[in-house]
Amino acid sequence: MVGIASPPLSSALEAQGRRSPRSAQARQGGAISMATRVQPRQLCRAGSAGAEALATGGAASAEGPGRPGPLQDETLGVASVPSQWRGVQGIRRETRSCQTASIATAEKAAQTRKHVDAEVQTEAPVPVSVPPTSLHDDPRLAAFLRRVEAMVIRELNKNWQSHAFDGFEVNWTEQQPTVTCLHTLGYPPAQGQGLHVTSVSWNTTGSVVACAYGRLDDGDWSTLKSFVCAWNLDRRGLNPQQPSAVVEVPSAVMCLAFHPTQPSHVAGGLYSGEVLVWDVSNPEDPLLWRTGLTDDTHTDPVYQVVWLPEPRHSHRFQVLSVATDGKVLLWQGVGAGQLQLTDGFALVVQQLPRNAKLKKPPRGETEVGATAVAFSSFDPRLFVLGTEGGFPLKCSLAAEEAALTRMPSSVPLRAPAQLTFSPHGGPIYSVSCSPFHRNLFLSAGTDGHIHLYSMLQAQPLASLQLSHKYLFAVRWSPVRPLVFAAASGEGDVQLFDLQKSSQKPTVSIKQTQDESPVYCLEFNRQQTQLLAAGDAEGTVKVWQLSTEFTEQGPRETEDLEQLAAEVAT
Amino acid sequence: MAEVEETLKRIQSHKGVIGTMVVNAEGIPIRTTLDNSTTVQYAGLLHQLTVKARSTVRDIDPQNDLTFLRIRSKKHEIMVAPDKEYLLIVIQNPCE
Repeated sequence: MVGIASPPLSSALEAQGRRSPRSAQARQGGAISMATRVQPRQLCRAGSAGAEALATGGAASAEGPGRPGPLQDETLGVASVPSQWRGVQGIRRETRSCQTASIATAEKAAQTRKHVDAEVQTEAPVPVSVPPTSLHDDPRLAAFLRRVEAMVIRELNKNWQSHAFDGFEVNWTEQQPTVTCLHTLGYPPAQGQGLHVTSVSWNTTGSVVACAYGRLDDGDWSTLKSFVCAWNLDRRGLNPQQPSAVVEVPSAVMCLAFHPTQPSHVAGGLYSGEVLVWDVSNPEDPLLWRTGLTDDTHTDPVYQVVWLPEPRHSHRFQVLSVATDGKVLLWQGVGAGQLQLTDGFALVVQQLPRNAKLKKPPRGETEVGATAVAFSSFDPRLFVLGTEGGFPLKCSLAAEEAALTRMPSSVPLRAPAQLTFSPHGGPIYSVSCSPFHRNLFLSAGTDGHIHLYSMLQAQPLASLQLSHKYLFAVRWSPVRPLVFAAASGEGDVQLFDLQKSSQKPTVSIKQTQDESPVYCLEFNRQQTQLLAAGDAEGTVKVWQLSTEFTEQGPRETEDLEQLAAEVAT
Repeated sequence: MAEVEETLKRIQSHKGVIGTMVVNAEGIPIRTTLDNSTTVQYAGLLHQLTVKARSTVRDIDPQNDLTFLRIRSKKHEIMVAPDKEYLLIVIQNPCE
């Protein structure tokens, strides 16, 4: 019997609202209509098989695997995967704090002690001197002298007449028999340009020789770059083709002179008239001072530079330059590398002393070009100038007369000449004052002659012809009073010993093979056996002289005096 | 005293004499005709040399003693007359 009352509509609606998989009523098989969305809601009486089947279809399949039920929506529980994204890598945070220990401070004060100035001074050493005569010494002294006088006088007499030591000479040093060439120095880039060695100079310690490159036969302005090279001969591993210092100079250098006390300072005169001072020990920036091209500088090539002690501070030096524009200028290095003119002289024909007959100068020329200078070793203010006119001039730094020159100058120029000597046959290239006799000097010129002059008279004491070509340099030996050396245009260096022969050279050293001239030479004052000579091929040769040229004989100074005393009447 | 000066003058004016000096036993010059620095140099050096020469002579023969010392150099001759209290030094340029 199917009399199950169908639940009221409301409950069916409720069942419809609920999404429960099963309902107990469905199990009952009752006439429950399970209304789903899919199916139209159909209220149907229980008992219809179709409805029952429909109603229990899903449930029956849910109950057991019987026959597959029709599709039904089910609501399942929420399937969720808990997120592990941040959970595992959770940042653990802890709060910490730190704090430096508190800084301890304390107040302190410091103060300099009181100080007191004190001076210390040494007493000047009392020079040991001969004590003055004291009376109580005399009786014993007189007795002593009485005792020894006779013996001493006897010995003095014997000595005066003795021939015991005639010709007796002792050899303390090894004898050097001949003149040998120790070094042949050259600078290939300069030689490649065909430059000549115009000047050589030894430094104050005698271990460095410097040479200047330029040209002596150019008559015109040249913008040829030239060099000043220095070789240190005492250094091991000396490479003759590689100087230890090279200075590039924009214009040709005509003359060089090393500083008398600073071993690395050297002054040079240029073809352009400038005077420069370099420090060869400083390769990056060797130029120390320059005159620049002002109104004061020479307008012609500078032929010689000389270092002179300052009149008041004798440990400081100034540079004297001599040029063919007739000016002799004294320069002083002031700050910022500038050489400033402190004093000057000008040679004017009208002011030359008229004691010697001179050729009439060409019209319009009033300046006398100076080509060489030499200072006397006995009187520091006395100097000799060699001129283009061929006559040496005796001059003094203390001359007072103002020069009649129109050349502009910041310092008033004076006329220095006191005596004119009788001339050579051509311009003079070199003069040299004797280091052993106060009145003698030599001059050498283009006529190939050497003249030996005394300061006291205008005519030369002796005139020697050394060469048929020019003579470029002459120098007295610093150790032998009667020896001098001359450089000739025939390529040899001639050494004269006036004691042996006054007519021909004792030794003639051939410097160049092709007879190109030797332009300059200098003796080494520290190592007296060395002589440096520079030639037109661009090489500097250092010659070692035999001992006969370096050791003084017994009576040389007297012989020199005798020579000087031969004043022609 | 005049005698001392006269004797020294006589010696100094002899042929070729360059300088004369008298030195006491400590090497201090008492009289001289040369300049100060040269005198001091000669006095010190020759005093030492004389002492050495005297000891050389006496070492070789204790009965012997030094009477005169002469040094001949290239340029001149130095003569030293020694005594207990003084030294007389004369420098001469002998004729050659």
